[in-house]
Amino acid sequence: MSAPAHARGGPATATRRAVLWVPDWPVAAAARAAGIGADAPAAVLHGRGMVAVSAAARAAGVRRGHGKRQAQRACPELEILPYDEGRDAREFEAVAAAAEEVVAGVEISRPGLLMIPAEGAARFHGSEEALAEALVGAVAEVSGHECAVGAADGLLAAIMAARSSVLVPAGRSPEFLADAPVEALSLAAMERRQREGVEDLVSVLTRLGITTLAQFTALPAGDVLARFGPVGRWAHRIGRGEDVRPPVLRRSEEDIEVAYEFEEPAERVEQLTLVAAESSRRLDEALLAAGVRCSRVRIAARTERGDTLERVWRTDVGSRAGAFSRHMADRVRWQLEGWLSGTANGPEPAPLTSLSLTAQDVIALGDEQAFLWGGASGADSRAQRTVERMQSLLGSDAVLAVREQGGRSPRDRVLAAPWGQEVPAARKVEHPWPGRIPDPAPATVLPLPEPMQVLDAGGSPVIVDRRLALTAPPTWVRLQADPGKARAAAARRHPAAGHLGEEPTWGEAQPVEAWAGPWPIAERWWSADASRRAYLQVALRRADGGPALLAAFSAGQWWLEAIYD
Amino acid sequence: MLESQGTALGSRAERLAAARAALSAVETRVGTSRQAGDRPRLPLDDLLSELLPEGLARGSVISVDGSTSLMLALAATASSQGSWTAILGMPAVGVVAAARRGFDLGRLVLVPHPGTQVVEAAGAAVDGMDVTLVGPRVALSEADRRRLASRARERGSVILAAGPWAGAHTTMTVERSSWRGLGAGEGRLRERDLSIAVAGRRSGAVRRVRITLDADLTGMRAAATRVAEEVA
Repeated sequence: MSAPAHARGGPATATRRAVLWVPDWPVAAAARAAGIGADAPAAVLHGRGMVAVSAAARAAGVRRGHGKRQAQRACPELEILPYDEGRDAREFEAVAAAAEEVVAGVEISRPGLLMIPAEGAARFHGSEEALAEALVGAVAEVSGHECAVGAADGLLAAIMAARSSVLVPAGRSPEFLADAPVEALSLAAMERRQREGVEDLVSVLTRLGITTLAQFTALPAGDVLARFGPVGRWAHRIGRGEDVRPPVLRRSEEDIEVAYEFEEPAERVEQLTLVAAESSRRLDEALLAAGVRCSRVRIAARTERGDTLERVWRTDVGSRAGAFSRHMADRVRWQLEGWLSGTANGPEPAPLTSLSLTAQDVIALGDEQAFLWGGASGADSRAQRTVERMQSLLGSDAVLAVREQGGRSPRDRVLAAPWGQEVPAARKVEHPWPGRIPDPAPATVLPLPEPMQVLDAGGSPVIVDRRLALTAPPTWVRLQADPGKARAAAARRHPAAGHLGEEPTWGEAQPVEAWAGPWPIAERWWSADASRRAYLQVALRRADGGPALLAAFSAGQWWLEAIYD
Repeated sequence: MLESQGTALGSRAERLAAARAALSAVETRVGTSRQAGDRPRLPLDDLLSELLPEGLARGSVISVDGSTSLMLALAATASSQGSWTAILGMPAVGVVAAARRGFDLGRLVLVPHPGTQVVEAAGAAVDGMDVTLVGPRVALSEADRRRLASRARERGSVILAAGPWAGAHTTMTVERSSWRGLGAGEGRLRERDLSIAVAGRRSGAVRRVRITLDADLTGMRAAATRVAEEVA
């Protein structure tokens, strides 16, 4: 970088572009998803502070960064909406599609901000003013959001132009930027981590007495790099009105999808086999015709009762000839069988009226890259084939893939799903989960808890009282009788042994060596699936030492949850 | 003179070793020598090397009686280094425990209820997976087990069976397990000692080995920092 370049001269690399900006996008998206009007006071809360505030709420005195209480004090009728990056991105798709009705290719910089190559489009529409008008009109009409459009040379200038809805004439961006405060630099940061770095830089600059971009860009580039590192250099270039990277345009393409309408609603599995094979074959052909392959397929069906069923399956078959359609046919058949028989979770089973397969994660043939070094190893593809073989033997539900998820009890912390099916985790594993059962984790976790008895020294049951204390120290434990030992169990079931009615058959009482607890856990008390339990770790005293047990007291009874064996 | 003789001897010994290595490499490649000792091994935790001094040899069958944790520990290091594992007929296996021992859950396949198709499913698993864990209550006859063992020997995979397995290369029986860390109402399960009787098919004698399976590292770390503080 030569010395004169950092002077006021025109930037060397700056593309003319238009920027479409939807003000307070997270709030606009959340309000739309929650069915709230755009003029209502609303704010999006993330962590401890508001990340976005609607215009009405801002007028009432709510600001970004306010805590919940502070915001509610300023504006009691404020709607506080949850933060969801996925929702922001999804909702913005509608805005991008609306803009694409006017311009051919757009780039989504972040949800709420669209980059549009201005030159060609402006020529087509006659002028940049006409382009801006057409964009604002199309977005308002198609997606129903209000937006602002601006145009300038370079990234930062274009974003700032959009925020004040002006069109900066070509070559005038440096003057436009010169008087802007250094805080404007953070507008050009597209992701949160980067924005935090830029905000740190800005606070240092302000304390150094540098308040405008002109003052900042007048500093020698080398010194800025030496003092502030890569962030400083990035900010220096952005502040001069340069582009750091050329715009990447999105190419909009139709989904590759195969749909099938049943002539009469399908109720039996036999009807589906052919349909599954046929639609898989057509999807394979469609993918081949487009010269792509996909790594996931969404299977969606509609039932007679109007429910929509949907499931995503992974397809790791590569481009083996003919393998894809066979592989997919099996998966489609399993899924449809699951829906028809009602074994899969979801709404009540009903006859199916239509079926559609959509390719997801589409990549061009030959572009797939499984590993950084070399291809998929022989062992991996062999194991994949083995899993497919087992699934065809036992059915898809019998072969499971497991993942960890968040939770407190050992059973809650596992997410099992049929191999190849994509299931989102219900609870995040990164969350802290206070009160969860401490490590080491038990090696045997009963799929369903079994009743057990915890007795005191005199043989009467120990319970956990309302103050979460044990009524007596546990001294004996009785588990259910081992079903293998039928004769012993039969003897103990005899009325002479004190057995009554429907009670389970208890094994012999075993002495307790040591115990810890009770550890109370009250989960989700506000919802229907609330649970209140108290856990107890018990080590048994046996000749062979014996395993330790994890018992839970719930609804007036002890349950055996897991065994540390 | 002496030196020259020494180098000559050394070079002769080296040449002999090189020739033997080349010969044995050819033998294993062609498949004339089929000794378990020549087989490549799967990695094993250092803690368990006392149990299996020869390592986790491919093609072997190990029967473990009395501890699911021990089965998981035997397979964990191999899984963490890229081996595929299938667990058949163990609906209650603790997945979190497996993950804590080092399992790569992306390469773990669970078949909790193989039912009547267990022979075919186990055959497929032995064919395609590096390690297969078989639960205690699966419907496998003696003949099925023999066939599976020979299939494992051929494919170079390891079978870890819960409960007895006639003809297993190694049989491990947990004779005593004792947990530490619990008191009368306070503490938590921390450490566990296992006394294991190891019987090999080749070696007649039964060895008794004592290992600490769940060493509590947090306590050790706390003690280490305390020592460091005292030193400082």
